[in-house]
Formats: sequence, structure tokens, C-alpha cells
Amino acid sequence: MSQDQLAELSRLLYSPTTLLLYISAAFVYLYALTTTVGRREERERGVRARRVGGVLAVLGITAHVAHEIARGLAQDRLPLGNMFEVTSLMALVGVVVGLSYLQFSRRRPELNGFVLLGGSLVLSMAMLMYSEPGPLMPILDTWWRPFHVSLLVGAMGIFAAAFVFNSLYLLRDTAERAVAAERSRPGSGSTVGAAYIGDVADGGSAGTQVDADAADAGPEAGQHDGDGDHDPDEEQERTELLAYHAALRRGVPAVKLAVGTFLGTALVSWVWLVSADTLAAGMTRFLTVNLTMVAAALIARWFVPFLPSTATMDGLAHRTTAFAFVMWTVGVIAGAMWAEVSWGRFWGWDPKETGSFLTWIAYAGYLHARATRGVKGRGAAWIGVAAFIVLMGTYLIANYVIVGLHSYADL
Amino acid sequence: MGWRWLSRMRTALYLLAALAVMSIIATAVPQEPNVPSTVAAWRAGEEGPGVLVSQALDAIGAYDVYGSGLFLAVLLALYISLTACLIPRIKAWVRLVRHSRPPVVRHLGAQNASETFTTESRPEVVHDRAQEVLERRRWRLRRHDDEEGDKRPAQVAAEKGLWAREGGSLIFHLSFYVLLAAIVAGQLLTFEGQRGLVEGDAGFRDTAVSYWSYNPGRFFGEGDHDGWRLELERFHVDWIRDPLAPGAGQPTEFRSEVRVTPAEGEPFDAVIDSNRPLNVDGTRITQLDWGYAPRVVVEVDGEVVHDTFLTPTLATGGFFRGAVKAPAADPDLGLDIFLYPFAPDDEDGTPIPTGAPWADAPLLVFEQYRGDLRLGATQQTINQLDTDALESEGFAALRLGQSIEIGDATITFPELRHWVGYQVSSRPQVPFLLLAAAMLLGGLLASLYAYRRRLWVLATVDEVTGRTLVTVAGRAFQRPEAFEQELEDVVEELSEATGGQWQRPAGRPGDRDDPFPPSARPPAAPPAERSDRSDRTEVATR
Repeated sequence: MSQDQLAELSRLLYSPTTLLLYISAAFVYLYALTTTVGRREERERGVRARRVGGVLAVLGITAHVAHEIARGLAQDRLPLGNMFEVTSLMALVGVVVGLSYLQFSRRRPELNGFVLLGGSLVLSMAMLMYSEPGPLMPILDTWWRPFHVSLLVGAMGIFAAAFVFNSLYLLRDTAERAVAAERSRPGSGSTVGAAYIGDVADGGSAGTQVDADAADAGPEAGQHDGDGDHDPDEEQERTELLAYHAALRRGVPAVKLAVGTFLGTALVSWVWLVSADTLAAGMTRFLTVNLTMVAAALIARWFVPFLPSTATMDGLAHRTTAFAFVMWTVGVIAGAMWAEVSWGRFWGWDPKETGSFLTWIAYAGYLHARATRGVKGRGAAWIGVAAFIVLMGTYLIANYVIVGLHSYADL
Repeated sequence: MGWRWLSRMRTALYLLAALAVMSIIATAVPQEPNVPSTVAAWRAGEEGPGVLVSQALDAIGAYDVYGSGLFLAVLLALYISLTACLIPRIKAWVRLVRHSRPPVVRHLGAQNASETFTTESRPEVVHDRAQEVLERRRWRLRRHDDEEGDKRPAQVAAEKGLWAREGGSLIFHLSFYVLLAAIVAGQLLTFEGQRGLVEGDAGFRDTAVSYWSYNPGRFFGEGDHDGWRLELERFHVDWIRDPLAPGAGQPTEFRSEVRVTPAEGEPFDAVIDSNRPLNVDGTRITQLDWGYAPRVVVEVDGEVVHDTFLTPTLATGGFFRGAVKAPAADPDLGLDIFLYPFAPDDEDGTPIPTGAPWADAPLLVFEQYRGDLRLGATQQTINQLDTDALESEGFAALRLGQSIEIGDATITFPELRHWVGYQVSSRPQVPFLLLAAAMLLGGLLASLYAYRRRLWVLATVDEVTGRTLVTVAGRAFQRPEAFEQELEDVVEELSEATGGQWQRPAGRPGDRDDPFPPSARPPAAPPAERSDRSDRTEVATR
């Protein structure tokens, strides 16, 4: 196969193949999440859906890997040389590590949908920076590059997964607090979710098990469902549960969430506005990114009732961040060593070096806040979200706005 | 304010934030040590936000953030704050390491994890085996036997990971001192110089006077030079020349073939690549810059007044800009040189300059000046003419090997070579930087992944059956999920060693064939995955 054909193949594998597979896998997984509160046959549908989602995700990853290989062959080098390639690989690492971690290590496959959704977002973002395959500058042609770049890209992917967990944590926590507040308001008369609230005030970790276990006790407990003829108690519980779900969703004001997401994304995406050739082109990119993020946030809001406990997501965010932080540290040190060899100095406050330093400080702040008791839960999650904004902001600014020694990125 | 204020975590965070803000300013505003020409242009108002803003930036030292007093003050405050925070932590850690023993308990109470099994072995034997098993796993142990009047039952108490987590965190923080020391030492002991060489010329010797730019550290004396000699034999540079190929115009190769004569020893040939600097007696030679080196001969009235290779640098537009300065002519002669490496003739024979960098059709365009070069009177670089006191005598263009007469001067362009700019640096601090990096990384790993945990092995005789009931229970201060696994491993080994009957719990909830998520679980419910094993815990703690 000629190089041109390979390039064409790699493009097709990327979009639409990989992109569509990820998105559909994400939605199948998310659908499976909604069946967990249903009746038995509904749950079985959920299990089947999850299998389908798993197959789609594996196909998507295969297509993505095939794309990377085809692209590598087409240009006869590792596909880690420009922004598109780096962002694409960031998505691949995020999806593979995120899914394996959830599936095999934490055994929380129900969250796969969110990781895939995040992966699809990063993948579509990479499309905004697409460039044709091509060779590298000679200074990049060394074994330092794959080492340094892949570590940082891997860390970025995992930081993205951590960002997903932090955001979900904040959504769920906000919803739970709102429901608890509604309950405790004197004279509100609301009994919504009464059985489910327990003692949210002290962080949701303690409390008493309530008897409305039908939803989560798994197949053993669900057996008394019978074959579809439901006794009134069952119906009653189900109604209560649905009311609780609705209350949770109400707990996260949609407008506030949308506006907040838009503004939060704008903290990063303004880069496209200022760096584009024409205002219209910049505005298109800016709005595309922002509105996609808003849509993702609203989808996540709808899934709030199906999320696992806040403690789970808090733990996931912490572990992933800690892991990615180590990777980031090694990657920055490797970069400093390469700079020492190639440029004759290990650190020179080049825009990307400054960016990597700021990101490091931000995530160190997150881990420090967690370690030294001061900040927990929401505080830590917000720091995690802010750190991701620093990461994406410095990444885009150092590539688009300020020219430095690292400006090899083919835009 | 004061010591207590400095040692607070919050203060350290403010200082770090200040550092971050400064580095952002330094990224947005050009820095004088890096790009002095851009800063000059900002100051003059030719570029950037204008003279007024520029003055304001100057006033706050924004053109040299990393050299400003404020930056150093913040850095100093940060280090003092770090010290203030570390001293008590180190003291506490030393105390912990010296005095901590795993506590002997009266009863196990509620623990994170607990397993029980029964065995025929006597309790003392079980405790002996437990000691062996735990010792092999590098736990710190404390054996307690039954004593008269002591209400604490016979047991083996064990502890692990006590030093590693906090110790790792301390090493991580201490690495910043090593880093600082290495940087300061670097400022004092290094030397950095730049020098350009033309292919095939006589090269240069490593002495203080032979560098074009020369920045020694405070304690680097002129006698510290080794005195080797470097000659450039050939420089290879190439690009993707096919304009339709992907990455067209990108360079593919920068390589110098050099000849080195060490101060003592035989000369040898070496290659310097972008990513492969050359090491000579601990001094590093890096390629920094390159350009075409046209040889330009100027004769005035039959007398040669200039015959050297120029070292013009690449300018925007794809040409190389340089200058000929011939004060030997009377009046002074100056040539403002524009070298187009690839300017092929069109059908009419007119050269068409392109931006391509390969020297397939070099064209030397110049403007000739006569007058006063003002050498020594004004600051000027070798590639720039000061035209204030000069008068133009017109433009001309030369192909390689051609010559032209303008007035009484004859200009010849007989030869074209390359020149390469080298950076020569001596960096004794590098091993210490590596040490700092290793400490930082090692400490970080330990502080994130080491975890402190305790466990107790209690063996008692069950009055009813006569068998020995063994309880292994413990808790982890961090990473409980990793500890559960570890505890099960210990129990498995111990039950094997004592002939006990114990089976690993049948999988975690996620292992079930049909893993319904606990997602719809009420927020405050205790984790359901523990419920199937909580009965066992109760047995253990009874």
C-alpha cells in the first residue's frame, strides 16, 4: 500500500470509524446505567447493553490503534509529532487506561460510559487540529521524544479521566446536598427520597441502610420480582425511587450548570478565538467546543441518579490524579534531561516549560490538599477541576498563542 | 506575620500562587535575557503594547522576571516556609522511627479488615508461625505472651509502612534544597560561550578570548579552560525539497563533522548532531545556529581590502543577512549583504529569489556603501552596518564565481560554504540535578503509594471444640483496598503454615457474573459489598 493510501486509511479509521464507535459505545453504556433501577427484564436488557457497549468500545480502541499504526506507517515515524497526533493519543491513553482501570481494577464497569464520553470529546477536539501526516524536524528525531512526549500525553489522558470523575463527583454531591436540604427544610412537606437520604450531612459515608434495597441488591435480591406481575409494594418502591431520581436531577439546576460549563470551558477555549485567522473561524471553534461541553454536562446531569456514591468517585479521582501526577513528573524530568542534552540547559522558562510547571503546581496543590486534611470532598474536587483548566489552558496557549522553542506543532 | 505565619501551609500556597503568576507574566512578556531584541523593540514602541505600557512593565521588572528582586524574594520566602514546615516534621519522623512499636491490644475492636480460621495447632505455635510469616514479609513485630494479671491476650502485633510514606514525603521536599543548591552552584561554576566556525577554516582554541559571546560563572576563572581546539570539517544540512511532499521545506538533517584536538592527546574526528552534543574533557559542545558563509573579496584600486567568509544569519523571508566592513579602504567601504540560497533564473535570465533554503542557485545581493563605518563608535553586530555616516553607491547581484565593479571597488563572490554556531558549556551541576530529580521522584512514589498499616494475630483456644481459633485483623491508615488484599495473603500463608482451614472470600462484588452496579444505592448506605463479609468481622471481634 502506498503512503498516500495509508494516510487516507488512517484518516478514515480516525473519523468517522473510531469517533462513531466511541460515541455509540458511550451511549450504550450510559443507557445500561439507566436500566439498573428497572425491573428484572429491564436489567437484563442492561446487561446485554453493557456487553454491546464493551464490544463497541473494544472495536473503537482497535480502530484507534489501527489509525495510529497506519498513520505511523504513512509518515514513517511515531505519530507523536504535532498537536493532532498528541491529542489523539491522549484520547487513546485516556480511554484504554480509564476503561481497564474501571473494568479490572476498580470493578466499576458502569462508569465506562463517562470515560468513553470524555474520550470522544478529546477525539473531536483533536479533529479541530487535524494535520496531514508528515516527517519530523531532525531535532525531534531521537529516542528522547517518544519517551518524553508519550509520558506527558499519557498523563494528560489520565488527568482527563480524573477530570471526568471530579466533575461527576461534584454533580452527584450537589444533587445529594440539594435533596437533603429540601428534606430538612421545615414545613416543606416533601417526602421525596425520604428513604434514601439517611445522613448526607456528614459526608455521605455513614448512615443506616434503608430497606428499599430493590434497586441495588443485585440479582439475588431481585428474584422476588417474579415474571412481571408486580405486587403493590414493589410498585410503590419504584415510584418512590423514580421520584428520588427526579429530585436528584432537580438538585442540579440545568441553567446554572449550562452557564457554568460554558464559562468554565471559555476559560480555556478563548485561545481559539484569539488565535484563529478570522473571527468567524475562531468563533466557530469556540462555540463548537463550548456547546459540546455544555451538552456533555447536561447529559451527565441526566445520569446523576445512576452515579455511584460520591466516595467512590472521590477515590477514583484521587487515585487517577496521583498516578498521572507521577507520570507527569517523570515526563517533565525527561524533558529537562533532553533539553540539557539538546539545548544545553535543562530549564529555560520556555512557554511549554512554564505551562508544564504550572500544571505540576496545580496538581501538586490538589494532592497536597488531599493529603493534609485541610480540603476534602468538594474543595478537593474543585481544585482538581481547576488544575485541569490549567492543564488544557497552558497546553493550548503554549501551542497557539506564544511561540517558543517547543513550537514544532504543525497547526 | 513571623515564623508561625511562614510555616503555615496556606502561606506556602500563596507563595506558590505568586510564583505561578510571575511565570505567567514572564511567558506573556518577552524576557530580556532570552530575547533582548524583542524587548528593545517593545521599549522603543516598535512592537508590543506601546512605550507607556513598556515603561510600566520596566518599572515592575517584567522584562526580567526571573532575575527580579521580587522573584528572588518570593523564592526565598518559599524556601524559608518549606524549612519552617519541614523541621518539626523531620523531628516527628525521627521520633516515630526511633520509638514506635506496634501496640499490644486488649481486644481487637473494629478494624478495617479481619479474617478468622481454626486450626489444630496450639496458640503458641500459631504465634510462632505468624512471627515467621510476618518477618518474611518485613513487618515490624511485637510478641506478647500471656502474663499473670495482664488483661491483654497473647498476640503478635505488627506494623509496616510506618516510615516510608512520611519519609518519602520528606525526601520529596528535601529534593528542592538539592535542586536549589545545584542551580546556585551552577550559576557560580559554569561557563557558557558561543563561537561560530566556517567549514574548513582554522577552527578555534578553547580560551577566554576566542569566544564571540562569553558568560562565565562568578567562580569560573580564565585558567579553567582546557585549551582544546575545534575545527569544522563539513556541515551537512538538508530539507524535504519536493514542494508537494508532506512536510515540504522541513529540515531533515543538521550534522557537523568536526576535528577535535584535546589539550593533551591525539586529535580525533567526531560528529555533532542536534541531539548528540560532543563532550570534550567535560565540556559540552552543542550546535546552536548555522548559515551560509559566502566568501566575499573586495579590491579597491587593485588592493585587497576584504577577503573573508561572512557569517550571515537567516532572516524572515528566507534570505541570509550579513555585512562586509572594510575599514582598510579609503573612505571606508561597507556592503549590506542579502544572500538568497535558491534564486534560479527565469526564461529571460532574471534571477527569481525564492524562500527555499537549499543553495542550488545562490545569489548574493548587496548594497554598497562608502563613508564612515563608525566602527568602535557605535554598538553594532558583525552582520549589521551603521549606515548613518555612509552613502549608498547602489545595488548589485552576483552569482557564485562572478565579480562586479562599482566605482573603484571590485567585489568578487568566489566561494560558498557553511558556518555553524556552537555553544560551549561546562556544567558541573548536572549530576546534582539528577540527584535532585531522583530524590523528587523516589520520594513522590513512596509518599503516594506507601501506606501505613497495623495488624494483630490472636490465637485462642475455643472452649467448645478444643480447636484453636485464629483471628487476623488490622487496619490501614491509607489505601484500605490494597491492605485487604495483603491481609488475605498473610492469612492464607499463615493458615497453610499452621494447617488451618481458611478459604479466600469468594470474590468481590464486581466479580459476580452479573455485576449490577450499586449506582442506585441510597447515598448514605454503607457499602453493600462489605455486607456479605460483615458477619465474619463480627465473629472476629466478638
